[in-house]
Amino acid sequence: MLRRWIEDRWPRQIQDERWKHLAESYHGEEIVVLDCETSVFDKKKGELLSVAAVRVKGNEIFLTDALDITVKSDAVTDPDAVRVHYLRREDRMAGTPVEEAIEQLLDFIGNRPICGFYIEYDRAILNRYIKQIYGFKLPNRFIEVSELYVKSKRRHHIHEVHLDLRFEGLAKDLQVPVVERHTAMGDVISTALMYIKLTGFGGS
Amino acid sequence: MTIQINLNQPPFTFLSAEQLEWLTSRLNLVFFRAGATILEAGKSAPGVYIVFKGVVEEIDPDNGHVFSQYGKEDLFDVRAVLEKGCKHRYVAVEETLCYLLTAEDFIQLVDQSDDFSIYFNTDLGTQQSMVERQDSSVSEFILSRVDEDVIRTPVYVSANTNLARVAELMFEKKQDAVLVRNGQEIGIITGTDLLKATLLGDKTRQSKAADIAQFDLIDVEFGEFLFSALLKMTQHQIERVIVRKEGHVVGLLELMDMLSTFSTHSHIIAMRIDQSRSLKELVVAAGRLETLIETLNGQGVKITALTELITTLNRRLINKAFELIFPERLRRAVCILVLGSEGRGEQILKTDQDNAIILENEHDREAVLPLLQQLHQALLDFGYPPCPGGVMFINDMWINTMEGWQAKVKRWLESGKPDALMNMAIFMDAEVVCGNPELFRPVKQSWQLESLRSSIVSALFAKQALNFETPLTLLGNIREDHGKIDIKKGGIFPLVHGIRSLAFEQAIDECNTLERMEILQQKGILDAETVQGLRDTLLFFLRVRLRQQLDMDDPNRGLSQQLDVTQLRSVDRNMLRHALHRVKKFKQLLTTHFHLDNF
Repeated sequence: MLRRWIEDRWPRQIQDERWKHLAESYHGEEIVVLDCETSVFDKKKGELLSVAAVRVKGNEIFLTDALDITVKSDAVTDPDAVRVHYLRREDRMAGTPVEEAIEQLLDFIGNRPICGFYIEYDRAILNRYIKQIYGFKLPNRFIEVSELYVKSKRRHHIHEVHLDLRFEGLAKDLQVPVVERHTAMGDVISTALMYIKLTGFGGS
Repeated sequence: MTIQINLNQPPFTFLSAEQLEWLTSRLNLVFFRAGATILEAGKSAPGVYIVFKGVVEEIDPDNGHVFSQYGKEDLFDVRAVLEKGCKHRYVAVEETLCYLLTAEDFIQLVDQSDDFSIYFNTDLGTQQSMVERQDSSVSEFILSRVDEDVIRTPVYVSANTNLARVAELMFEKKQDAVLVRNGQEIGIITGTDLLKATLLGDKTRQSKAADIAQFDLIDVEFGEFLFSALLKMTQHQIERVIVRKEGHVVGLLELMDMLSTFSTHSHIIAMRIDQSRSLKELVVAAGRLETLIETLNGQGVKITALTELITTLNRRLINKAFELIFPERLRRAVCILVLGSEGRGEQILKTDQDNAIILENEHDREAVLPLLQQLHQALLDFGYPPCPGGVMFINDMWINTMEGWQAKVKRWLESGKPDALMNMAIFMDAEVVCGNPELFRPVKQSWQLESLRSSIVSALFAKQALNFETPLTLLGNIREDHGKIDIKKGGIFPLVHGIRSLAFEQAIDECNTLERMEILQQKGILDAETVQGLRDTLLFFLRVRLRQQLDMDDPNRGLSQQLDVTQLRSVDRNMLRHALHRVKKFKQLLTTHFHLDNF
């Protein structure tokens, strides 16, 4: 327990030359917003079905080079989940092998901070795969959108218990359009907009 | 990629499918908080913004005037990208999300697509005719597809519904068939099935729907060509097919509905009118006219072609009714005129009746009056509502002999009163539809006198065009009232009446506004640019008004002049603003021409 806590906070140096740069501190102005869809909602058992990520800089979301990968997987999903993320087994069979997906994602993120909604979950899922394939865990800084939200509300003396901290709740309060909810890409765009609004970017 | 705006509208429709797909892949999303400056005057723009959510104002930095507003799916600032540098400042009025296409990518598209580049480099008229031409790309009816317009929403019954109830439902819903749900299965019962089962078979009122329903359905896919549906019906000798979309039943396609769509072809209507042997038959033909307009407009037929066709058919219709009602002896002794928009040949949907009659001999009046009543009734039956102002040949005021009309015209013009001048305006657009046209000539000459034209009468006449304000704000935006403007008062009337006044002054014979303009140009009264601009403007007004009228579910929709600005596509909203500016400029031209400042 304690070891995991320490590992999460101070990840050990990455030995692999290919990924060494991930652990370097980041000096740019961009972040990456990402979201994973999994077969079941379980950090240990959930299999990666798709992952989407965009770069955000200031008030601009770079859709043009966004990452949107469907992972090749024959994981059995419960039928309700298919209705949630629309990823049928047939679609997934034509997807990218998971090793390749992880590699693409790591290249895309680099050492940028990673932002998301309930990002702990995505972090756990991705670390499970990365650990298994490359033997390290993501050393990047993580930004939790709902935490930014709670902080901004606290500045206005609104206590957490009065807040609707569900994705839809944030979207509604921040007046962010929810586009194609539960597709990884749609959630990512909405989350990116939440981040932009909460960090006060939005043009001069 | 998840692009949340409709690119299926001009100017994007000028791009090929591949170009559009490429464009979609080149858009970034940018957020601006309320009050943020998006583009600064004098600075270059990073690209073209397309509004996804929110409102952006274009402000003249010199005086702070709002030059224009941009809402969902509007584009700005193309000029800044094509000419390097913005003229004005662009500010987000509320929180705004825009898609951004980089200048480099935009220019690449402009370089690749001729239509796209012409669109951005031309005036309103060319833009409009491009849009109109584009709208008409779906042409032949035979190429029409199975869509919402031709299919019926099915009426469902359960497997246990008894046949008595099935029959009731068919009657209530005016359907010849109902669908039967039996678990996962869907079947059909037609009127014929019902008859066969009960009158010829042993089924009773209490038998269950599932007992007689047919479960092997013949279906077509939503979006298939109509003619392939027709083929299927012929092959299986049936009168309806089920329409499915992605496996689900979405409607029924009836042979009758399809044939009636076919039967609104213009030449068929013309034939029907000519072959009619009773007023009753004419009423049926008249009923087809509205559908014809809808079909032709849907196919994107040009508004000039549409008005011409409808005018011809309208006149044939009245003429035929006249022949059926008036005995041969009286036909040459009268001359029936259509006035106002119908006289000008600018009517599309049926508006109110505006008409008058010239009698050769006063002593025929008694014989003619009951016939006029019949003709009036026939027009009502055809769907022309009565004129609220009473401008109809059944009223004494609009029945006269040749001499009577000449005297009346003289009185109207001499009085100079607005009412009298408006009567003159309506009458001035008169066109002979039936009877003896020779009776009209001397009447028309009575307002084409040199002495009248140079007098103050012309100015008083023209002044009516200024009666209504152009619905533009001081800052040059469309001034709407609850999202609507009166397109007739605000746009069509000032333009039409202004041209009419000039035509009056110049004693021009033609009634049609476009033809009048052409002659005014030949005479050097209006320059070519003004004429082209006004022509585009008028046709644009007629087109957007027709489009909204057709969307209404009202027998008198042809009378509706309220234009819902919020319903307009952004490309049309932009054109509307330009068009209203043209009208405003034309009013200034009239003021100068007729020295109206002095009145």
